[in-house]
Amino acid sequence: MKIEESMKLEFLKKMLIVRQFEYKIVEFARSGKIYGSVHLCVGEEASAIGSGSVLRKEDYLLPTHRGHGQAIAKGTDINKLLAEIAAKETGLCKGRVGSMHFFDKENNIVGSQGVLGAQFPIAIGLGLAINLKKEDGIAACYFGDGTSNQGLFYEGMNFADLWNLPILYVCTNNLYGMGTHYTKTSKVDIFEKAKLFKIKTDTADGNDVEEVYEKTFNLAEYVRKNRKPALIELYTYRWLGHSALDSRPYRPKEEIEEWLKKDPIKRYEEKLLNEGILENKIQGVKDLVDKLITQAAKFADESPFPEFTNDMEI
Amino acid sequence: MERELTYGGAIKEALREEMAKDKNVFLVGEDVGQGYRGCFAVSTGLYEEFGPTQVIDTPISENTILGCGIGTALLGMKPVVEMMFEDFISVTFDGILNQAAKVRMMSANQYNLNLVIRLPGGSKTGTGPQHSQCLESVFMSIPGIKIVCPATPYDAKGLLKEAINHGDPVLFFEHKKLYSTKGIVPEEEYKIPFGKARIAREGKDLTVIAISYMNNLALEAADELKAKHNIELEIIDPRTLVPFDLETVGRSLKKTNKAVIIEEGVKRDGVGAEISSLIMENYFDYLDFPVKRIASKNSFIPMSPNLEKAVIPNKESIIREIEELLIL
Repeated sequence: MKIEESMKLEFLKKMLIVRQFEYKIVEFARSGKIYGSVHLCVGEEASAIGSGSVLRKEDYLLPTHRGHGQAIAKGTDINKLLAEIAAKETGLCKGRVGSMHFFDKENNIVGSQGVLGAQFPIAIGLGLAINLKKEDGIAACYFGDGTSNQGLFYEGMNFADLWNLPILYVCTNNLYGMGTHYTKTSKVDIFEKAKLFKIKTDTADGNDVEEVYEKTFNLAEYVRKNRKPALIELYTYRWLGHSALDSRPYRPKEEIEEWLKKDPIKRYEEKLLNEGILENKIQGVKDLVDKLITQAAKFADESPFPEFTNDMEI
Repeated sequence: MERELTYGGAIKEALREEMAKDKNVFLVGEDVGQGYRGCFAVSTGLYEEFGPTQVIDTPISENTILGCGIGTALLGMKPVVEMMFEDFISVTFDGILNQAAKVRMMSANQYNLNLVIRLPGGSKTGTGPQHSQCLESVFMSIPGIKIVCPATPYDAKGLLKEAINHGDPVLFFEHKKLYSTKGIVPEEEYKIPFGKARIAREGKDLTVIAISYMNNLALEAADELKAKHNIELEIIDPRTLVPFDLETVGRSLKKTNKAVIIEEGVKRDGVGAEISSLIMENYFDYLDFPVKRIASKNSFIPMSPNLEKAVIPNKESIIREIEELLIL
């Protein structure tokens, strides 16, 4: 697959946005500007951006509770997303729900999920509606390695296969469900679980944005053309804790160091330089991202907190 | 034109009319189409008439059946989800509590769910602990869902047609003992708005708020109490528990000064507990004595007929409790 330079720079830009966005939240959390729980995807940028860039405007997205990167890839306005996370009136959902339960109708994001696995039954409904209404889009259902152990996953795959639903399952396997390593929760690889239901699967190095994009693109094309489900498992690693300020004592130091070496952004930057993309273009992207994140932080900071309104009581 | 329909037939007619009007309306659940055609035969013939895009049979997977409802409603459709038995809704509690009920409020009105969940419930069928419960009160404390419990064929049709177009998730409690009961149902188009109670019988001596099938028992009890003691019960059918028509209850209380609530669910923290509190908060000065609750024992629904009878209210127990209350 030939990827144009402009697209490569777009990948880099979006990954940088996600990383800086997440670190801005850490900064906000440390200075007491974040109320409640936030789950960050630093280290997983290539998985979020590579897979999410495959989705079109008309596709529907069910992000996970670690879903900022997934939403940004789909097109969510980072000002509104950060304002939502900071519990501000100008947020996607008027600051009502924060990081874990946001909706963004403008971008067909039909709700990130605070209860792990709740997305699986809803994905079936989305796929069913797409078929019944003869829409062109597909439904992208994201989940993590830990969530694959919910019974709803199997129930959903059975329906998706049985009814030929256009659902793209994207598993971000970051090895840990909270503090528990995947191997302590299941002996079966996640993509193997899907094979039981004759669902087309693939796996990818989740820290290689182009590989993620290419393999997810091919599966998405399969879903679009055949109106059948497919699943991709992306192997990556969560640099930070389960939630923003978790000190993560449950992971071996060597493992963390090993994965830090596989930094998806540093790796990609080096690749682009090797391919002859000029350093000043890359610097231009970085400067732009700095500006965008500063703007988003200012927007969130300066926005008011919401007031209780009558429509919140029914 | 006036003609009689059964309660089950009225539900089917509401489904038929709305499905014919709008292709976005569809019925989904276990055995609703080609197999049993509804465990209680409510949807017989609908599959033949509307086909597999509007009458959808599913695997036995209540969670995902509800997901079919939530997901399609998120995309603007008007699903009617059937749980084969009301009791099975427990399997899908997360979908009700954390998803369906909260979508509108969480999304700040970006999304709302035009979603009906049909729930055949109630005992006196010998089906025992896991196929007989009345669970309205379990769901009344979840903001974001409407609780509807029709007692007559007329109400079943009018309330279901309203539910299908209501815009927020509706739990539609159908009582199995009512399916074969008959009543007048107009052929003309009508809907019954939520939050408007019905006076099932006028009277001056005692206000009785009776839910679903208990309304039928209350009417029978009223006839006997009239014959025996010459007292007149005023029987109110709230029709919907959320929203609840407190005004109609208040008007009646100002006349009778006494209130009894009859429900088939368990007494502890039941529907009666909530209504009784509402009455006490708003109409305390009109009461001659405390509000009385008649409900099932804080137990389960046993299979044995005599045990079942001992647990849930019946005509005799209702009469006895009212006689004790009024010292008759």
